[in-house]
Amino acid sequence: MSATPNPIGLPILSLLIFGPLAAVLVALLIRSDRWLRWWTLLATSAAAVGSLPLYFAFDTSTPDFQFLEDASWIPALHIRYTLGLDGISLLLVLLTTLIMPLCVLASWRYITHRVREFMICLLIMETAMVGVFCALDAILFFVFWEAMLIPMSLLIGVWGGPRKVYAALKFFIYTMAGSVFLLVALIALRLQTGSFNIPGMMGYPYSPGFQCWVFLACAISFAIKVPMFPFHTWLPAAHVEAPTAGSVLLASILLKMGTYGFLRFCLPITPYATHLFMPYMVGLSLAAVLYGGFTALAQSDLKKLVAYSSVGHMGFATLGIFALNVAGLEGALLQMINHGVTTGALFIVVGIIYERLHTRDLDRTAGLGKHMPVFTAFLGVFALSSLAFPGTNSFIGEFLVLTGGFAYSKSVVLWAAPGVVLAAAYMLRTLQKIAYGGTRNPDHSGLADLSLREMVTLAPLLVFVFWIGLHPQPFTRVMHASVQRLLEHSSHASAFALVPPH
Amino acid sequence: MNEFWLHPALVLILGGLLLPLVPARLRKPYLLLIPALAFARAMLMPRGVFGEVHFLEWVLVFGRVDALSSVFGYIMGLMCLISTLYALHVEENGQHIAAWLYAGGALGAIYAGDYLTLFLFWEVMALSSVFLVWFRRGPESLAAGFRYLLVHTAGGLSLLAGIVLHCKAGGHGWSFDALDVHHPTLAAYLILGGFLLNAAVPPLHAWLPDAYGEGTFNGSVFLCAFTTKTAVYALCRGFPGMEILVPLGVIMALYGVVYAVLENDCRRLLAYHIISQVGYMVAGVGLGTQMAINGACAHAFAHILYKGLLFMGCGAVLHMTGESKFTELGGLYKKMPLTFVFTLIGGLSISAFPLFSGFVSKSMIVQAGFDQHLLWAGFLLNLASVGTFLHTGLKVPYFIWFGKNQCKTATWERAAEPPWNMNAAMAVAAVLCVGIGCYTPYLYQMLPYPVDYHPYSSYHVSETLQLLLFTAVGFFLLIKKLEPEPTISLDMDWFYRKGARAFYWLARRPLQFVDTCVGEGYRLAGLIPLMFSARGAGQFDNRIIDGFVDGFAGAVAAFGRRLRRVQRGQMQESLSLSFAVVALLLVGFLIIFTRVAR
Repeated sequence: MSATPNPIGLPILSLLIFGPLAAVLVALLIRSDRWLRWWTLLATSAAAVGSLPLYFAFDTSTPDFQFLEDASWIPALHIRYTLGLDGISLLLVLLTTLIMPLCVLASWRYITHRVREFMICLLIMETAMVGVFCALDAILFFVFWEAMLIPMSLLIGVWGGPRKVYAALKFFIYTMAGSVFLLVALIALRLQTGSFNIPGMMGYPYSPGFQCWVFLACAISFAIKVPMFPFHTWLPAAHVEAPTAGSVLLASILLKMGTYGFLRFCLPITPYATHLFMPYMVGLSLAAVLYGGFTALAQSDLKKLVAYSSVGHMGFATLGIFALNVAGLEGALLQMINHGVTTGALFIVVGIIYERLHTRDLDRTAGLGKHMPVFTAFLGVFALSSLAFPGTNSFIGEFLVLTGGFAYSKSVVLWAAPGVVLAAAYMLRTLQKIAYGGTRNPDHSGLADLSLREMVTLAPLLVFVFWIGLHPQPFTRVMHASVQRLLEHSSHASAFALVPPH
Repeated sequence: MNEFWLHPALVLILGGLLLPLVPARLRKPYLLLIPALAFARAMLMPRGVFGEVHFLEWVLVFGRVDALSSVFGYIMGLMCLISTLYALHVEENGQHIAAWLYAGGALGAIYAGDYLTLFLFWEVMALSSVFLVWFRRGPESLAAGFRYLLVHTAGGLSLLAGIVLHCKAGGHGWSFDALDVHHPTLAAYLILGGFLLNAAVPPLHAWLPDAYGEGTFNGSVFLCAFTTKTAVYALCRGFPGMEILVPLGVIMALYGVVYAVLENDCRRLLAYHIISQVGYMVAGVGLGTQMAINGACAHAFAHILYKGLLFMGCGAVLHMTGESKFTELGGLYKKMPLTFVFTLIGGLSISAFPLFSGFVSKSMIVQAGFDQHLLWAGFLLNLASVGTFLHTGLKVPYFIWFGKNQCKTATWERAAEPPWNMNAAMAVAAVLCVGIGCYTPYLYQMLPYPVDYHPYSSYHVSETLQLLLFTAVGFFLLIKKLEPEPTISLDMDWFYRKGARAFYWLARRPLQFVDTCVGEGYRLAGLIPLMFSARGAGQFDNRIIDGFVDGFAGAVAAFGRRLRRVQRGQMQESLSLSFAVVALLLVGFLIIFTRVAR
């Protein structure tokens, strides 16, 4: 793996990772809640602006990792501090830094007690999330992976709803249980290859049995994170109980870590096992698409509905990943970004409803459109995006995924298409209920429409919905080289070449 | 070419979209600034081809600026400015936005270099202008607007079908130039149909009086200027010299005049008269010679101004009194003298009085007809002039401002001079009408072909004065017969209005029944099982998967609780227990190890 020199000159990835942590130190000294909010908003916005040079300085022609930083960390265990970005992780880092200021804005009035601790949790989460996407050393990756568990559990467990402790514990233990297997797999890989360097683990001739075990161990961890069916039940619980910012972070970023893990570990490092388990993973993805759709249709709690819709959308992403062709992989990556934008926006919208009505029940929110037209306009756009309406971002992603799936097997589209229809069904039903309701809607005449702060929170997401939907080239062009390299690593030929003859 | 070229339509469209954000104090200056900027841009644009945009597989040309499009662009920009001045006091933003989008659409169509761009702006015009009818909010406005929209959508469909057939299937390419008028294809006829509908050529004309009579007082001023003249431009560009247009134009001229004489509503009268005047322009296009095309352009230029002026005058009457029917008006010269003067100037212009604009423009077409030895066309168009003077030059001013005062008391109380901006707009238009008539080079320099025509010949002046004088004599002799009656004239729209009712019955009874059956079947066979299985999936998730997960967690917790009781806090017990467990493990390990080693 050759190193492309860092065109920016500064160790920008380390700055992005540890900048929020430095902001935490300042936040510890601030007394006033108002100043804390503004400080956190400033820090996260600075990170968002500071991450833009990554996009502009990114060299799209090479699949190599860029903005490399390498230093010795724990020499005794051969653990190094290695950071780098390629086309796959660039967009995820940008998504993370963009979503964070919106989370702060969405929590402006929502969080009223222990504001300092809340903001500190958000900033630590940003450190951990950006770290996961940038880490190129397996243990560094794992440290960041585990590091975001605690702030997330706190976000759910302290500022959450009625069953917050149950949800926080479930989230924590479920994810931790999976990551234990991941750690074992990483250590096993280190024992085979001699280093924890992730790119170095790719292309190594592992035995097929070893590959299978490593794949299964990694896959368990990532499948819980994604979440794939049937490991998904922590998600509705966590989303329902989490505060708005927590739900947004969970949906927009944390779920992407699971698919990112598949792309970074399972596909390039264990190609033989990937090919072996491909039909099962595709099957589970399709099950997630359909199951997520069905269960979402049955929900009357808005957050649970969006949570189950996430299961369905991430099913498309994993479907694209395990179709193992260019269309599928690019569609999956794009779908990850789209889901981050759209579902994050939907959770912010639900949070807006909750702040006004203190309920998320669909029947009690019926007919809001009459008194909150601007809000309903935003909800309408994001609902259309969620059901992959042409012209919105999800359409491009799902179309690419279905194209890739079709190339893998024709029956994929046969099973995935009803999922698309179900998505339309539950999303339109929700939109119809909230916007118009029926003939006996509850009285919403006293409600105020969106404030400037709320509009500023939703506006960037609206822009991205249409930008990606109508002109996706700026987003897809950074992926091409890395996706090609990924496919080379995980191609059929290389899979069998890696396996020593036995 | 990827450089940015400022389209005057863009100024209007963006200006309109930003209007709601303008603070109240700056609103009136802003309302005048935007059309002024658009007009200045249209006036100062250099000739050439600009604004090419590559979209998918096509090259869209937004800025084809030559002599023909410049003259139309000039007058439309100017009219947009005058009309906005006229409507300056209107508070509702929507009306201004709709009007500017409409004018912007017209400008976009004028400067379009290819069929796709033309079609885009064609539809923008149709969709935005319907709001100028709907904003009247009268009892008939909604229906009139819908009829207008449906008719224009049908016309747009014909145009699109023609475009696709001509450009894609016919392989002629997408640029908007003259079609082969001597061997017209089906595609050419479809395109022609679309243009003729917008030009309100009978039998496709009934939408015009229907909608223009029902528009807002300021909206109709916009409406009268743009749609029909854009269609005239399109005909000039696409079908110059198409022979069938000559008889069509002549029939139009007479048809409009006849129906206008019968009208009771002053604005509907003016609307029918648009049909008549556009007939001159269509006939000019059909004649196809340079003078005829010049005449069509000049007449369009003059027509936009004086028709706008007339609509402004009658719109002022409508705005101030609330009435537009002759049977409800009369004797208003005492109350609205300035409006009367301006409307009279408009009436004299339209009648082609010497020293007014109509005199120098209409006659070009008639002369071109005589030059081509189409004597019947020339004489019939002159006959239409008689009717024109009769109703617009004489009937309108007489029965509104003079004649028997048939105003109700409430109407009379309300009548007064309109606000300053309306009078100012009318004054500007009036000055231009006179100015064009007196100083011909102003207009003639803008025409597409070099002009070799001198309207002020003694023959022409005396012929015109004779026609007008005898028409006036005839009017006053037959004035009893020409008195307005509160009648409705049946026109071609009877067919589709009645037909629409039949279609509506068909949709409401048999089709609705079938749809209801399908809907019920869908609900019983589809929706109910779907929701049932969805709820089942939800329960599966809750009870079974979560039951397993939570149950497992609960079991572990229960086991832990039981194990905890083993610790009773006594050191000796804990130590002995741990030593015992370790001893058991070691013994077991030794047994297994020795067995394996053997």
